[in-house]
Amino acid sequence: MVAPVVTGRARPDRYLPIREYAAIGDGRTVALVGSDGSIDWLCLPDLDSASVFAGILDADRGGRFTLAPSIPYESERRYLPETNVLETTFITDTGTVRVTDAMTLPQGGLTPYRELVRRVECAAGEVPMRWSVEPRFAYGSKRRPFTRHGGVPVAADGRDALAVLAWDAGEVEYAGGSVGGRFTCDHGRRSLLVMSAAHQEPLVLPPRAEVESRLQGTIADWRAWAAGRTYDGRWRDAVLRSALALKLLVFAPSGAIAAAATTSLPEDIGGPRNWDYRFSWPRDAAFTLQALLALGCDREARAFFSWLLHASQLTHPRLQVLYRLNGRADVDERELSLSGYRGSSPVRVGNGAGGQVQLDVYGEVLAAASLLADFAGGLDRDHGRRLAEVADLVCRLWRQPDAGIWEVRSQPMHFIQSKMMCAVALDRAVALAGSGYIPDRSVAEWQREAAAIRSFVETDGYSEQRGSYRRAAGADEVDASLLLAVLARYDRPDAPRLLSTVDAVRRSLGEGLYVRRYLDGDGLPGDDGAFLACSFWLVEALARQGRGDEAARLMDELVGLANDVGLYAEEIDPLSGDFLGNFPQGLSHLALINAAVAIAEHA
Amino acid sequence: MIWGALVGGLLGTVVLTTMMRAASELGWTRMDLPFLLGTAVSEDRVRAKLVGYTLHFVFGLVFALGYWVIFATLDQSGAAIGAVLGLVHAVFAGTALVNIVLPAVHPRMGTGFDAAGSSPLLEPPGFMLANYGRRTMVAMIAAHVAYGAIVGELAARAA
Repeated sequence: MVAPVVTGRARPDRYLPIREYAAIGDGRTVALVGSDGSIDWLCLPDLDSASVFAGILDADRGGRFTLAPSIPYESERRYLPETNVLETTFITDTGTVRVTDAMTLPQGGLTPYRELVRRVECAAGEVPMRWSVEPRFAYGSKRRPFTRHGGVPVAADGRDALAVLAWDAGEVEYAGGSVGGRFTCDHGRRSLLVMSAAHQEPLVLPPRAEVESRLQGTIADWRAWAAGRTYDGRWRDAVLRSALALKLLVFAPSGAIAAAATTSLPEDIGGPRNWDYRFSWPRDAAFTLQALLALGCDREARAFFSWLLHASQLTHPRLQVLYRLNGRADVDERELSLSGYRGSSPVRVGNGAGGQVQLDVYGEVLAAASLLADFAGGLDRDHGRRLAEVADLVCRLWRQPDAGIWEVRSQPMHFIQSKMMCAVALDRAVALAGSGYIPDRSVAEWQREAAAIRSFVETDGYSEQRGSYRRAAGADEVDASLLLAVLARYDRPDAPRLLSTVDAVRRSLGEGLYVRRYLDGDGLPGDDGAFLACSFWLVEALARQGRGDEAARLMDELVGLANDVGLYAEEIDPLSGDFLGNFPQGLSHLALINAAVAIAEHA
Repeated sequence: MIWGALVGGLLGTVVLTTMMRAASELGWTRMDLPFLLGTAVSEDRVRAKLVGYTLHFVFGLVFALGYWVIFATLDQSGAAIGAVLGLVHAVFAGTALVNIVLPAVHPRMGTGFDAAGSSPLLEPPGFMLANYGRRTMVAMIAAHVAYGAIVGELAARAA
């Protein structure tokens, strides 16, 4: 029997704090590696497939891949410069060991369908090590025994299988649903643990030399990609790490960008605010295009936009709130029997927000189209025709209440930010038609309806008493999403009502560095933390309003909130500083990039 | 009759391939015949699939010729005798052809004698192909019985 690794790190309630994780990936899936060497999250073969390691969502049944010294240690870690390859250094009383973790990128030749590589090197002295692979297929519901295929331990479940190859990593011990081993890492020794995964095909079992070579090739590939990024400003390291984190969320087979790598990491520990973010949200389109184009990621920007229009074909001209990474529109939500991160249940897969009406999405998509058209000097003719039809739809829809950008599960309301984005959608459509990028047959109607929306927003959506736009018509609260009116150019950034709204958001929702999304209810029990993207939106809004010094000061502090390897979750607890919500979160990193670029542009 | 058998071989291979793919989607098996055949020729996954599908269909025709020889020898053909030949074919494949012969000739398939080498190895299929999923043989038999029945029926109609 292989005992679980005894860690030298505290695991309160047997769970690591979310900020103790780092992400590695290969453009198809992402693994989360804890600071104690435990891989507690991995879905195979793709990011939105079922998990084989989900210890982060259920310490007992989720499954994990542990690798650490079997004696007390301290650990520190970093990404190898300009890569998504993680290096964890374990320091013990007897010596120091470096573990390099990567999901390898294909380098030609016959490579495993997916490959997770863990290389162990001794830097000083000698250190006893222990490892264990405990896969639990189908989100922890299936424990399958390891059997020997060709002398290699293999665990299989239906279409999926994985093999564990170990070199210089001790005698492999079998224990039913897990395999593991112990070895002593001494100076000059290099051990290698590889998990090869297959999906609907036989496993590929690579030789050691090829794995080593592929790992080096993976490092080189990441560095080559990072070298192509163009931002060279004051927060270069943070921006580059954000770009690399985003690249992990780009689903290479389709070009879709996942909102985050995980499901159901809680927004409120112990509460029900646990959502699956392994989908792509068209709403993030404008943020995404803006960030990608600013970083010189033209290829990714075009691929994402093409994917977006391709995915939305079946629902055209309506835009669904979210789509699966392969473009499918079926995103039905269900609950799993996992106990949840620190008891935060239910654990959900799928996302019920898929059936909501969210009007802001149309503004974001037309704003994204406008960015891409300006960059590329035009749009595909068919895309142009469809975007004009989307604008026509906005004219018919904008008077409806919706669930808003925060996807509230209470009754639909007339959210003011949604109305503002409808106006932005029609403004962009008029501009695109003026440039000849989309058909102009409905321009007069678009202009008429845009004016009607603005009249509604300025009359029913502004509170003279607060000096701020409202969260919703008839409500007297503010909402952090109103910051997006500055970013999306609903009006001039320095328009008096936008200036006072930004101040009101800071006053009402700010807690130091942090900005809460809203204070009103959203139809769910419990409370959530501060939404990190909102803090970066505030920075960007300040920069665009000519308050660059203030923006830069805030940015300096926000960059310091990242975890030790530069990653952000969705939210942060203002009191403890703990990360909350799914991780790593694309929107937080997108907002960081756009804020840094805005400060540079408006300096 | 030979043309009937050849057309049956082509059509039967289409049906066999579809059935095996469906079994894969259902989680019954990880068997991928074109991938296994193609990786004997190329390490490149895309090229291996293309070559594999070509070889798979060529073999489908070659086996149909073999069936035709048996039909001619017995001087009878039809869906029933074709299905019986398909059953024998599947069992032979599971016990000897794919289990023993393929690993012996496939440059990248692992056997019990392999140690760490310089080439990537494919997971060996095991007796009755069970390494690729316990229900692999069920899918193989069903697909080959369908193949044999189609070859037999079309050979009979062309006779």
